Amino acid sequence: MSLATQIMVVDDEEAICEALEAWFIKDGYRVEKAGSGFEALERMAQVYCDVYFVDIKMPGMDGLELLGKLREKQPDADVIMITAHGSIQTAVEAMKLGACDYLCKPFDPDQLSLLMERVLASKALREENQVLKEQLMEKRESLWDGFIAQSEAMHQVFSVIEDVAPTQTPVHITGETGVGKELIAEAIHMQSRHSEGPFIAINCGAMSETLLESELFGHERGAFTGAVKARRGRLEMANKGTLFLDEIGEISPKMQVSLLRVLEEKQFQRLGGSQPITSDFRLLSATHRDLPQLIRENQFRDDFFYRINVITLKVPPLRERLEDVPALADHFLDIYVQETGKRLEGFTQRALGMLMAYAWPGNVRELRNVIERAVVIARGKIIGAEELTFLDSASSDCRLGTLTLHEVEISHISAVLDTSNWNVSRAAKQLGIDRSTLNRKIKRFQIERA
Amino acid sequence: MAVSIIAANLQAVAGLNTNILPSVEPPDNAYVPVRGQFDATVIIKKLAGLEDGAPFKLGIMAQDLCSPILSFVYGESQLGGKAALVSLHRLFDDDPELYYQRAAKISLHEVGHLLGLGHCWENFCIMHFSSNIAALDSLSISFCPACEYEINRRLSSIVADGGLVR
Repeated sequence: MSLATQIMVVDDEEAICEALEAWFIKDGYRVEKAGSGFEALERMAQVYCDVYFVDIKMPGMDGLELLGKLREKQPDADVIMITAHGSIQTAVEAMKLGACDYLCKPFDPDQLSLLMERVLASKALREENQVLKEQLMEKRESLWDGFIAQSEAMHQVFSVIEDVAPTQTPVHITGETGVGKELIAEAIHMQSRHSEGPFIAINCGAMSETLLESELFGHERGAFTGAVKARRGRLEMANKGTLFLDEIGEISPKMQVSLLRVLEEKQFQRLGGSQPITSDFRLLSATHRDLPQLIRENQFRDDFFYRINVITLKVPPLRERLEDVPALADHFLDIYVQETGKRLEGFTQRALGMLMAYAWPGNVRELRNVIERAVVIARGKIIGAEELTFLDSASSDCRLGTLTLHEVEISHISAVLDTSNWNVSRAAKQLGIDRSTLNRKIKRFQIERA
Repeated sequence: MAVSIIAANLQAVAGLNTNILPSVEPPDNAYVPVRGQFDATVIIKKLAGLEDGAPFKLGIMAQDLCSPILSFVYGESQLGGKAALVSLHRLFDDDPELYYQRAAKISLHEVGHLLGLGHCWENFCIMHFSSNIAALDSLSISFCPACEYEINRRLSSIVADGGLVR
């Protein structure tokens, strides 16, 4: 029962039209009547109807012909055919032509109520599905909008994405921390034929081996202490979609063997389970680490590497495409202006010069954080050098051309750690990386408190 | 007996002053031989045309009723119109109390339509649509607060126009 639902009854017998009209009006529907197929087509041009009740036997244009025209003019309309006992075969034919149901007159009051409930529920489901599809399309379009790039290097990346996305081939995305590897993975997913399936991402560097194993494979109830109920793993969840393994360089050789088996057999078992589970997904992976080097150091299996690295997509660091900085800065400015409600119109030439002169060891993520901070502290209508002084002082070693990338990274991490009084969580947040990544960097670069 | 009980309920539940008139024969064309039933819509048209001064008329029949589209109806009425009709044929039960209660419920429901009320969402309300006897039995013999308010509002308006004496 919905006031918004408009029904059209099409029947050459006035008594039938009136009886149905009376019934529907009492149930809260709005009703239009038409005495012939021609009149129905005229009326539908004036009044949008959600549901049509059409008699099959009518002089002139019969119900089947009208059904064809209705489906042509309004493909989303629900058409219910009304028939007499003798013409059920025709009603079945009408169903094949797209009618959603038929009623054999005279029918029980129960039948009409249930039919309307079913038609409206199905219509609501279709509408919800349409909204979700539109949201997905919007997300797909906005994802491309999210890639702000004028550089040739990034346009080459986009071109590769367009080429590889429709295939099933595993893609390995490389690039420094903060270049947007997950965004690239999402873009590949959105452009792929799995785009209506799930995009399941997992950061392999953010958890211990046992936790990662449980997250990926899932577990049965009682598989280990604390497994109070069965849980689906990410491999299972990614079925008919895309699985994105971020920081794949961090996973142990043992886990590499397990995953290699899954990739080859498309089957696995939950922890503590014995039932084989099949999952069909497209694998995308990413790392900021040098996997060939890890292979030489026996930390990464070459067979696993060749399985995941069918196509490599290298995302260039921001310092190699500084021409993208102004557009990215403007984009982030728009985002934070909207978030904060401040009226900021842009950057001074000097501020832009500072942004362009910086090495951006934290890449786009760092630029985003810098713009957010500048917007928060800005007092005027334009962001000037004074809003970026922290950039100047905190990164005096990050000026381009004076240091190697390795030195820049160590220097910047040390500076941020000192500023945060060696509070690793705070420093990691400022650097735009997670705590475990920062701890690894501290260990690897042997950074010590001054 | 059933007619008196229906009249009493219309008075008590809907607040309608009710008179019982002598019975009239249904029109000849109301009987549908192939279905062995009477077409409610044809009888209602005749009832509505009777000139006896009453603003609303409710016919009570022992025979089975149908409509051009429905295989049977317990009752039928003109929404916001003058006449309604109720059949006792499918309401019978060995328990006379239940039988009369069903008759009163259907009558109140059809009179609600006469007063312009549509079907109600509330499961217990007498204006909720019942497609079978079990559904009818589950209704209470009263209007929900919203339908009651609407009935009173419409009756007040009709009284003010001089069409009804309460």
